[in-house]
Amino acid sequence: MRKAALLLAFAMPWAANAKPIAFADGWTVMAESGTNTMREAQVFYAPTYWWSGGLSATKLIADDKSMEREMAGVQVNYLVKRWNLPAAQGNVFAWGGLASARGFDAEGTFSGVATARYGAQADYETRRIYASAKTDWSQSSRFTHGVTTVQLGVAPFEHDYEDLAVWFVLQARRYTGGILPGETEVVPMLRLFKGNFWIEGGVDRNRRAQVMVMMNF
Amino acid sequence: MKDTMKALVFVAALLAGAGAQAKTIKMEVNGLVCAFCAQGIEKKLKSMAPTQAVFVSLEHRVVAVSLKDGQDIADEVLVSQLKDAGYDVRSIARVDESLEKIRADTKAKR
Repeated sequence: MRKAALLLAFAMPWAANAKPIAFADGWTVMAESGTNTMREAQVFYAPTYWWSGGLSATKLIADDKSMEREMAGVQVNYLVKRWNLPAAQGNVFAWGGLASARGFDAEGTFSGVATARYGAQADYETRRIYASAKTDWSQSSRFTHGVTTVQLGVAPFEHDYEDLAVWFVLQARRYTGGILPGETEVVPMLRLFKGNFWIEGGVDRNRRAQVMVMMNF
Repeated sequence: MKDTMKALVFVAALLAGAGAQAKTIKMEVNGLVCAFCAQGIEKKLKSMAPTQAVFVSLEHRVVAVSLKDGQDIADEVLVSQLKDAGYDVRSIARVDESLEKIRADTKAKR
């Protein structure tokens, strides 16, 4: 299972920063390639609108290539709170899981390291503006790191269900744990979604591409 | 006599209209902001046996359900289904308009 999840993560050059729970009795498949530093893939099934569970695989590569960490495991997502407003929605999500990690660092190679994964996300959106903040942490006897991402988006026009939704999104991301020390990645992105398919992508100032794809069904 | 007959026919037509079951249920729903919201609601409502078709408008915050002939869904059940999908129903009404007309009117208002 771990190999399959990792294969999914690395074969598809893409990842995730949307909602971990789409809707009740629904599957969410997300994949992301975050510049040169992160690859992630996740598959979740939601029995209800307030929780989902599934597989998550992440690979992190230090900017100077001095270390790599691959983690694959299970994850449960929980909707802590939702605000349904007349023309807006706000959400707070939290998640946790267990993964097996392998990779290398200054001390050498490692594998089969039990890793706790946990995080949270808050988002707010109307049909014209979108804002989200997400922090995702991994902790083991070998390493601890966090990935914190903030996104702000504006839609040039209000879309309806059957329309192609177009968003301009600015993403800022910081890594701790020696992945990208002292730097905040800033990536302006174009996000498109229609029906059950979502894609977003952009390039940072160093011409490193960020791509995310998501599908719900 | 002729006028009386006309009046009776008119009253009978009115009564028949009032007795006829509304075929469409229209709801105003909070929290509808993206296609995934609409998709979840559509999937939930389409899974119900009496449902003929579903229409969701994010712009007008409307969810409309047309019913199969002779079938019905209680208001409380619909409110509960939307709640289970993660959304809040603000109002619910049974209307004589077809789903297609609601769809056309909604698009015309854009």
